[in-house]
Amino acid sequence: MNYFPDEVIEHVFDFVTSHKDRNAISLVCKSWYKIERYSRQKVFIGNCYAINPERLLRRFPCLKSLTLKGKPHFADFNLVPHEWGGFVLPWIEALARSRVGLEELRLKRMVVTDESLELLSRSFVNFKSLVLVSCEGFTTDGLASIAANCRHLRDLDLQENEIDDHRGQWLSCFPDTCTTLVTLNFACLEGETNLVALERLVARSPNLKSLKLNRAVPLDALARLMVCAPQIVDLGVGSYENDPDSESYLKLKAAIKKCTLLRSLSGFLEAAPHCLSAFHPICHNLTSLNLSYAAEIHGSHLIKLIQHCKKLQRLWILDSIGDKGLEVVASTCKELQELRVFPSDLLGGGNTAVTEEGLVAISAGCPKLHSILYFCQQMTNAALVTVAKNCPNFIRFRLCILEPNKPDHVTSQPLDEGFGAIVKACKSLRRLSLSGLLTDQVFLYIGMYANQLEMLSIAFAGDTDKGMLYVLNGCKKMKKLEIRDSPFGDTALLADVSKYETMRSLWMSSCEVTLSGCKRLAQKAPWLNVEIINENDNNRMEENGHEGRQKVDKLYLYRTVVGTRMDAPPFVWIL
Amino acid sequence: MEVSNSCSSFSSSSVDSTKPSPSESSVNLSLSLTFPSTSPQREARQDWPPIKSRLRDTLKGRRLLRRGDDTSLFVKVYMEGVPIGRKLDLCAFSGYESLLENLSHMFDTSIICGNRDRKHHVLTYEDKDGDWMMVGDIPWEYESYISTCSLTCSFIISDLNRCFCFSMFLETVRRLKITRPERY
Repeated sequence: MNYFPDEVIEHVFDFVTSHKDRNAISLVCKSWYKIERYSRQKVFIGNCYAINPERLLRRFPCLKSLTLKGKPHFADFNLVPHEWGGFVLPWIEALARSRVGLEELRLKRMVVTDESLELLSRSFVNFKSLVLVSCEGFTTDGLASIAANCRHLRDLDLQENEIDDHRGQWLSCFPDTCTTLVTLNFACLEGETNLVALERLVARSPNLKSLKLNRAVPLDALARLMVCAPQIVDLGVGSYENDPDSESYLKLKAAIKKCTLLRSLSGFLEAAPHCLSAFHPICHNLTSLNLSYAAEIHGSHLIKLIQHCKKLQRLWILDSIGDKGLEVVASTCKELQELRVFPSDLLGGGNTAVTEEGLVAISAGCPKLHSILYFCQQMTNAALVTVAKNCPNFIRFRLCILEPNKPDHVTSQPLDEGFGAIVKACKSLRRLSLSGLLTDQVFLYIGMYANQLEMLSIAFAGDTDKGMLYVLNGCKKMKKLEIRDSPFGDTALLADVSKYETMRSLWMSSCEVTLSGCKRLAQKAPWLNVEIINENDNNRMEENGHEGRQKVDKLYLYRTVVGTRMDAPPFVWIL
Repeated sequence: MEVSNSCSSFSSSSVDSTKPSPSESSVNLSLSLTFPSTSPQREARQDWPPIKSRLRDTLKGRRLLRRGDDTSLFVKVYMEGVPIGRKLDLCAFSGYESLLENLSHMFDTSIICGNRDRKHHVLTYEDKDGDWMMVGDIPWEYESYISTCSLTCSFIISDLNRCFCFSMFLETVRRLKITRPERY
């Protein structure tokens, strides 16, 4: 390869797109490293504190697309205080200062401000795509700057963010000359929407493929929008309350029939179930259906809808569908690849909506299933063994039994054997979440069999440090380990410090780890940031020796090449 | 985390006090405890189950709308002039319409809300402030589905105020009284 001029090698590299592969290429030799870094356009940074923007830009000066992730995963479940960190502003400032031609920015669990959005919108002439997932800290004013200043905006995709809705006119800030939109997703906005501006925008966006509306867009507006955009591929319905005899509803029915390219449906934030039938004509084309926010729709209506969806590949639903409903899914959706069943009853009122039976039915009926997230009331080892036999191709297997420490409800045994069967059979398993009553034994199985496992979530599980040690010693590809409310302590934490250099991060909360254990770890591994998050003022961590035995409430450690971060709030102590 | 189901029948005669159940209302201020969310036994954790805040908020908002489960809100119902009252689980009804239908059946007379009428009985309720009010002015529940209805049982169509500054009927009702037509 070295006999070819650089341009040829670079051209070959253009065909290599995955981050893993490009990272591998850059390690081959100095010349490849050099060629690769100048030709790299897309960079993925899984932890924004592992590196800083200056070093990023030094290495990849031709950057066009950046993905950044901030807070640890457990922040989704209120385990990380809001002010912990993950600020995007320094990144945008640095990118703006360099003259990099940024076109795409994708952020997950970061703190974004109106100031940063304004700066972003003004600094990059060719900026095309903004995707914000589970972010917070900004308002619709920030969106207004993006709308107004990004002349070539293609994607504005806001997924499950906390946005302060000033009920302003951000939609009308898109200039009349803006006709390039392909994705517009504002489903997470809580306030009113300027319907006139929205309709005009959709009408002048012939390339619009993905439109996800918020709850303030009523039925008659939806009907008009669908008439303007029959080319739509991905639709998020906002408010779906309506009267089945109204003119709006009839118009909607007619409009839906014309949307022959529609493949993905979501939303139904407020829905009148009996009107779902308006969508039946296009259901046979659907590959993705997300009804996880449609709390009003009961089982029978869901089932009627799903019976029409024979090509479904992805289904996100609430457990109100019931085991019977899942049996219908199993017999109808033979192409199903990903299933998520979310709980509809947070208080655990004993309503056995879905059980192990639904899971077994799905595993038996859907041969292509590779990803599952399943919240349920009860589980058995026998069911998990059957599931493992039926579906040895799982890549992601996440099971959440709603009651912590719940054993096999038939045998009262721990669920070690069931999960053991899963990891033994599913040789490609990359992500696993455990629940129910579990001893150290399940971790022995995981360490032994889960060779490809990259992410493991543990809650209320295990007996001794041995459990955690089995995982750390066994899972060679482990990247993210997150543990809560489990009896693992300093012995496990300190056994193999070099392991953490091969991982992105480790989270441990409400475990048995002590302050002195964390200090020793920080001493042994200066290339790690060891963060103690301690919100409770009464429990202020002391420096004295005997206080070192104090248990740490939340520990978050991650490898980094840029040392301690400077933006940590007072309740975060970086050792 | 085990929670026992309270009794599911939605009406019973009460000559003297009935068997106590966790969510039973009584004349005193214990009514606020009948609201499932405030009972310590059933208070939901913010960090378990592991779902995102957005879904958690959506589910909290619809809690009142669940049917056929163990949410219940028993209130006393009196017909004016009749000393012995009945007991009713308001959570068994989807809205004012079904409540009135059921009451009309139970007391074998036609009952309306909202309108003053010489012919019909009018339904009133005592709210948490102790005032007697006309049934039907405020939304039944948090995410009440708006609908128009027939004239015999009119209730006010109110706007789904997204700031949620109404108090809802189910949150504020303490007991019901069916008044005689002549009073109005």
